[in-house]
Amino acid sequence: MMNTKEQELQILLVEDNPADAEMTMDALRLGRQVNQVQWVKDGAEALELLLGRGDESAAAARRLRLVLLDLRLPRVDGLDVLRALRADERTRRLPVVVLTSSHEEVDVVRAYDLGANSYLVKPVESEAFMAAMVELGLYWMLLNKAPGDTK
Amino acid sequence: MTKEIHDPAILTSTAEAATGRAEVQRQEALIKTGALQDAIFNSANFSSIATDAQGVIQIFNVGAERMLGYAAADVVNKITPADISDPQEVVARAKALSAELETPITPGFEALVFKASRGIEDIYELTYIRKDGTRFPAVVSVTALRDAQDAIIGYLLIGTDNTARKQVEEEQKVLDQRLRDQQFYTRSLFESNIDALMATDPRGIISDCNRQMEVLTGCTRDELIGSPFKNYFTDQERAEASIKQVLSEKKITNYELTARSRDGKETTVSYNATTFFDRERRLQGVFAAARDITERIALDLVLKQKNAELESANNELEDFAYSVSHDLRAPLRAIDGFSRKVVTNYGERLDEEGRRLVQVVRDNAQRMGHLIDNLLAFSRMGRRELVLQPLDMDAMVTGVVDELRAAEPTRSIEFACAPLPCARGDAALMRQVWVNLLGNAVKFSRRRPSAHIEVGGRTQGGECLYWVKDDGAGFDMQYAGKLFGVFQRLHREDEFEGVGCGLAIVARILQRHHGRIWGEGKPDAGATMHFALPLAQAGDQASEART
Repeated sequence: MMNTKEQELQILLVEDNPADAEMTMDALRLGRQVNQVQWVKDGAEALELLLGRGDESAAAARRLRLVLLDLRLPRVDGLDVLRALRADERTRRLPVVVLTSSHEEVDVVRAYDLGANSYLVKPVESEAFMAAMVELGLYWMLLNKAPGDTK
Repeated sequence: MTKEIHDPAILTSTAEAATGRAEVQRQEALIKTGALQDAIFNSANFSSIATDAQGVIQIFNVGAERMLGYAAADVVNKITPADISDPQEVVARAKALSAELETPITPGFEALVFKASRGIEDIYELTYIRKDGTRFPAVVSVTALRDAQDAIIGYLLIGTDNTARKQVEEEQKVLDQRLRDQQFYTRSLFESNIDALMATDPRGIISDCNRQMEVLTGCTRDELIGSPFKNYFTDQERAEASIKQVLSEKKITNYELTARSRDGKETTVSYNATTFFDRERRLQGVFAAARDITERIALDLVLKQKNAELESANNELEDFAYSVSHDLRAPLRAIDGFSRKVVTNYGERLDEEGRRLVQVVRDNAQRMGHLIDNLLAFSRMGRRELVLQPLDMDAMVTGVVDELRAAEPTRSIEFACAPLPCARGDAALMRQVWVNLLGNAVKFSRRRPSAHIEVGGRTQGGECLYWVKDDGAGFDMQYAGKLFGVFQRLHREDEFEGVGCGLAIVARILQRHHGRIWGEGKPDAGATMHFALPLAQAGDQASEART
């Protein structure tokens, strides 16, 4: 199990809806992950942050443990973000959880085909939503072992 | 011959004047002519009437008496043959002869003998009038009687009764007319047909055609007859092949060809044709009828376009429903989430009524979430590709019933399932039908201490019929029309939960299977939902799967 104090753990939240973003961060706060969340509002911003030129983005990619990705995003769509992340050596194995409103089977299939690690439909009911976010943060940040993790 | 027929009085006086060898010869001649005279005089089948030069009857033989009903004594030395002839015919004959011979001829006896008096052989038809006033047609031969100096001393009119021949002629006329009528009738049927009709010989050369064929080709009947049938079509090979096909298969139906008229106008026609034979069953050729189907084809095209438009509109609507329900979720989540946040962060500052109001907001946001979920499910139902296969309905129902029982472990529900006919359909969708119908039966019978639910089915009239009967809350038949609408409910939310999509989904699934659904019920006396699926037919999988 990771020691949270030893490393600066990062979550990137790609979400265009401020309300959803706030609720997601509320939930992560409950799971004590909030200080490690960075929020960007569209796909282009996400790609710029992770894959842009310069040391800043490389460092960001290195520190990152998880991407929470909405599918319907302005400018660059979530699936295109996923495709770009998987095509780049630096982010090829970065855990990406699709966090969306879409129940559509085609979206699920396409997301997995592009290498999503998980697909979560955001519940409308806030209790269920909060519970899901808390569990998600705990699981991916604490329980899941990613390549390169030190014991 | 005519010269040997003489007036008996003249003959007698001539005989008395004869002497010697000439006398002997005359006697012999007399015997001969006397015999001839007797024969003529006594002939019953010819009326022989001899007159003097003025036309007054001198001899009226047995035949004349028989035909005309006069005794010789009634007429001899009294009247002329004109008096026993149709007066109008006599007048007409006088007029005609006057014109023909360019000399005035008196209507009367002169008209009857004028030609003979000029030495012209004359036989004509005339109507004689009997003593009793009745008439009969006669053929009359007129000869002038001349003396030794060739002067006319009288006339002989030999007549035969023409009634029988006239009758035959009349009958013939009637038969001819009947034949003409028959031909006209047949022809008019042929001509008034709305189809272009045509007969060809076995080589495909047109032997007859009707008016419609002229319209179709822009050619006249005379031009068409004798020319090859194939000439009038855009695809001549295919036209020729049609004739060959008729000859080998005795007939063709709905054979489509495009006719091209002289002015270039093209008409799509559908041909029906058969071989035809004469009375001896010898092949005469091909009889073909072409119906103009241009309009039908145009309509088919319009129908296809409209169907495509409809389908695309449907798809758009479904896409719209999907996208709307998708986009509606996010704000709903915010309404619910932030209402909750109000309670969490500021709950202490709210009184009970304040907290209740926030809860109402949250309840409704969640309810709208359910509505959207169902709308999405309904829209998915319409877009899903059907996979048709034989369905074991008994097994399907048993599975669904087990699940429903497991979900309601505390309730007493008695299921009675009769054997069900197998059907063909999409397994997942058909299972959804049973889940929704049986689920409703379980839900609406909740208030019974012990609920009874019956499932049955049979095949009838090309369909598989199924029904689910419960003894639950039922419904008022006057609202039966609302059973299958989206978001249509017949019960209050606080009586029975639900958003009103279950039966709409069932109806949509059955519609996609070319089936139907209907229900009957009575308030508080249970409901029966029936549905029907078409009996599976061999080879229908492909066509159904596309719908």
